[in-house]
Amino acid sequence: MDAPDAPSSPDELDRPALRISGLVKDYGRVHAVRGIDLDVRRAEVFGFLGPNGAGKTTTIRCILDLLRPTAGRIEVLGLDPRQDGVAVRRRIAYVPGELRLPERQTGRQLVASISRLRGDLDSARVRELAERLSLDLGRRLRDLSSGNRRKVALLLAFASDAEVLVLDEPTNGLDPLMQHEFLRLVREAREAGTTIFLSSHVLSEVQRAADRVAVLRAGKIVALGTVDELRGRARQRVDVWFVDPPPAEELAAVPGLEDQLVEGHRFAAVLSGSIQPLLEVLARHPVVSMLVEEPDLEETFLDLYEAAS
Amino acid sequence: MKAVGRWLELVAGPFRSSWRAGLGWAIAFVLLVVSTVAFWPAFKGSTGLDAAFQALPKGMLEAFGFQDFTSPAGYLRGGLYEVIVPLMFAAAGVLFANSATAGEEDAGRLELLLAMPITRRSFLAGRSLAVLGWMVVLAIVVLVAQLLSNGAFGLEIAAARIVSTVVLCGLLGTVYAGLAVAIAGILARPGLVLSVGLGLSLVGYLVAALFPLSDVLAPWAQLSPWDWALGGDPLVNPAELWRYAALAVPSLALAVVGIAAFERRDIRSA
Repeated sequence: MDAPDAPSSPDELDRPALRISGLVKDYGRVHAVRGIDLDVRRAEVFGFLGPNGAGKTTTIRCILDLLRPTAGRIEVLGLDPRQDGVAVRRRIAYVPGELRLPERQTGRQLVASISRLRGDLDSARVRELAERLSLDLGRRLRDLSSGNRRKVALLLAFASDAEVLVLDEPTNGLDPLMQHEFLRLVREAREAGTTIFLSSHVLSEVQRAADRVAVLRAGKIVALGTVDELRGRARQRVDVWFVDPPPAEELAAVPGLEDQLVEGHRFAAVLSGSIQPLLEVLARHPVVSMLVEEPDLEETFLDLYEAAS
Repeated sequence: MKAVGRWLELVAGPFRSSWRAGLGWAIAFVLLVVSTVAFWPAFKGSTGLDAAFQALPKGMLEAFGFQDFTSPAGYLRGGLYEVIVPLMFAAAGVLFANSATAGEEDAGRLELLLAMPITRRSFLAGRSLAVLGWMVVLAIVVLVAQLLSNGAFGLEIAAARIVSTVVLCGLLGTVYAGLAVAIAGILARPGLVLSVGLGLSLVGYLVAALFPLSDVLAPWAQLSPWDWALGGDPLVNPAELWRYAALAVPSLALAVVGIAAFERRDIRSA
């Protein structure tokens, strides 16, 4: 039962940290997950984004073998959670989205009991994390706010030796200062080689933390790419003030430039895709000033959700 | 070493977290036993009471264990071991098992635990052992309370008969605890576990107590675990070994059914 973890072989290092192929999960007539495929690389922060009910938690619970998929295959570090559940869970630490802790215990008692079950919590690391998260482990869990309970779960995950952290809505209830600390913990863990699977419906947090993002809607992935790629697909507002009246004809030919508006010397439009063709037009005409709004991923995702529906 | 710590946590964790319920049951058992035995001196050899009981139908007297109420064994049977003590053991078994399994799962508290590097089998086996641990503790409490109050109030009965009766009542409780684990293993529905577990405890008593009153139904009384436990009148006669086995084996088998089912299904989230 307690065989030491085999050291990662070079062969194993080539494999993705997490591979999901054709995952389907039905609850009776409800199709919670309808065919998900994705690979999460090692030491990558992978954002798993989607509105509530999109199937994020269902997917995560299949990864941990808490749910049994209707169809499809999951591999965690090359292992099947269904066949090698103990080995998989030894290498994963999980922060549930709906967090229910034993209320009568203190934080310290919970840490002790999880430590006995996992066998890999480092007590110096626990103390350090409690300090960084401003967490009093001597208090009973039922007396803690939801944010502080969340911190207990984060502490348990980040104090372990797990190679993969699966975090479901990890910043729910955390104040902005602690959200910032959480992002620092994520970056440190990635630098140490840990893979992080970060599920969230909060775009800003994924945008700041993730290398790549999958966007989930109604049990399917509707977009998958780096944050920058998704940003490239984002729509952004462009305002240009020309010295002379705007070159309306040339501008009309620029691809991806919609809702064009000319008011005197001002030109406004919504741009989707690359800004390069627009810049080429602008280079030929004297410009007083120009304003390009930071692409709003939130709007992009809403567009994606809508497109998928 | 880690494996030992893990197993200890799987059993001791749920055992520890039920200490309030355990203490409550222990106090209830002690109060019941002591207060019942305290009235023994008033009943001892009361011919008037015996005569009054004899006026009642014999079957009814037997159903409630009131035959021979003025002898030590008859008094303990009627006052404690025919209905109330075994029923309390059965209820305790169902309640402990439910709160350690379906109750916790329904509250969403298994999510974090089952994400640990443990098998579902060891998880539920650990919880079943914790419930068994509480049944053992309660049996010892009842035994000690009974023997001490027998001495204090001059109720003379062989200690071996008391030990045997209490152990059989405790084993009867484990049958219903095993039933609760089996249902909870199949479905995380605490309401169902409680209603079926407690309901069948009561049905078991009624079958063992009332079926013998009818010539047609009498042979079927042996279907009830209550009959296996107490049908041989263990306060009077040494209980046969098969009676212990008849209770222990189904308890274990039911827990195994629960564990096997638990390994195969989805875990409920909050």
